[in-house]
Amino acid sequence: MDILMKALYLLIFPGLLYCSVAGLLLAGIDRKVVARMQKRIGPPLLQPAYDFFKLLGKETIVPAAAARRTFLAAPVIGLVSLVVTAVLVPVFGFSAFGGVADVVVILYLLTIPAVAIIMGGAASGSPYAGVGISREMVTMMAYELPLVIVLLAVGKAAGDGGVTFSLSKIVEYQQANGPLITHWTMWPAALAMLLVIPAEIGSHPFDVAEAETEICEGALVEYSGAPLALFKLSSAIKLYIMTALFSCLFLSGWGTGIVAVDALILVAVCAVIMLICVSLVRAVCARLKVEILFRFYWRVVAVLAAISLILAWLVG
Amino acid sequence: MFKKLIDNSTAKSPWIYHINAGSCNGCDIELVAVLTPRYDAERFGFKLAGTPRHADIVVVSGPVTSQSKERLIRTLEQVPEPRVIVSLGSCPRSCNVFKGSYSVEGPLDKFCHVDISVAGCAPKPEAIVLGLAQAAQLLKQKREEAAQK
Repeated sequence: MDILMKALYLLIFPGLLYCSVAGLLLAGIDRKVVARMQKRIGPPLLQPAYDFFKLLGKETIVPAAAARRTFLAAPVIGLVSLVVTAVLVPVFGFSAFGGVADVVVILYLLTIPAVAIIMGGAASGSPYAGVGISREMVTMMAYELPLVIVLLAVGKAAGDGGVTFSLSKIVEYQQANGPLITHWTMWPAALAMLLVIPAEIGSHPFDVAEAETEICEGALVEYSGAPLALFKLSSAIKLYIMTALFSCLFLSGWGTGIVAVDALILVAVCAVIMLICVSLVRAVCARLKVEILFRFYWRVVAVLAAISLILAWLVG
Repeated sequence: MFKKLIDNSTAKSPWIYHINAGSCNGCDIELVAVLTPRYDAERFGFKLAGTPRHADIVVVSGPVTSQSKERLIRTLEQVPEPRVIVSLGSCPRSCNVFKGSYSVEGPLDKFCHVDISVAGCAPKPEAIVLGLAQAAQLLKQKREEAAQK
């Protein structure tokens, strides 16, 4: 019975099915809204789902220069780690697997999709993928530091004296004291987190690693068919996970208590967060250079997060 | 049911890859105009792909020069099935005013099967959108035929 519940969690509710549907829906809203901002009609809301199913039906070509097994395994590894992450992120009050230190686990699991892209790109044996993976690595280093500091700051603010690494504790604290976004000490951290989200999912001003106009989609250059479909699904799920993580860290502590309703509300909240930090920025900005991106994340975003951390220690 | 879902999606999400085989850039500009807010081909799911591996529809413009012939054939081979090849403008159809030049080896149908041909020098964006929409339907048809075999 216990194993059955765990399989249910992994495959259906906070896991594979739910986060795929939520992710593809969010990606569809994003494309539609950006199109409307540019005075276009835009693709239908289900366009990312159409793209996904179409890619499943295409021929899969493995280049002669590629390391076959790694090339085909990389997208699966990325997707699996994201599904596990989705199970760990609580839906308001409900968390499938509560742990003592799930923040640390999420931090490690979130790096695996980027590592999977690097692995797949390196295995494809294309020079464009080589440039792409080097940029992916720089982007990863750029946003990891602010993300860690944000999680530390939130952990300190919600930790009652110590630092907590448990997401369910953070949610409980917000149930007792109101959402953390209402504490002025957390405002810089929330801003930093909003800036980490577009880099983590590789959306437009920060998509140096997948720049299709310069380096032909970087690490994904040789992928076609089902493996490419899995990569596209992974990036849609990442969109859901990062925005859900933001709502868990800063906007949590309420909810109706009925899990199905909460899940719907969470997707709506995610859509609002995504409109602010992904769609708006994507419609307005041009792509950054990789060194400017790195400098921006370490000098501005990391400092914003650090201000919050210091304030959380001083004010308590 | 799953198969039908894939079949229907194939017509709704055609990704374009554009090859310039010695074109004068006129047709290329018109193709880009199709993707701009005025004509907005993205409302049918069209997207410009960065690499031939991601493409469903290959759009070829230009009369196929000696320099571009080999690259054209190699690029077309890299596109995964099912694929549709669209020739854009008069050049790939008949070599247009470049016919008889020492450096022109076209027309395009010497080297590959052309599914859809959009005529004009340069074709109107409306004509290109129509051609691409037909190509998207053809894509679905090709997938169903391949499944029957």
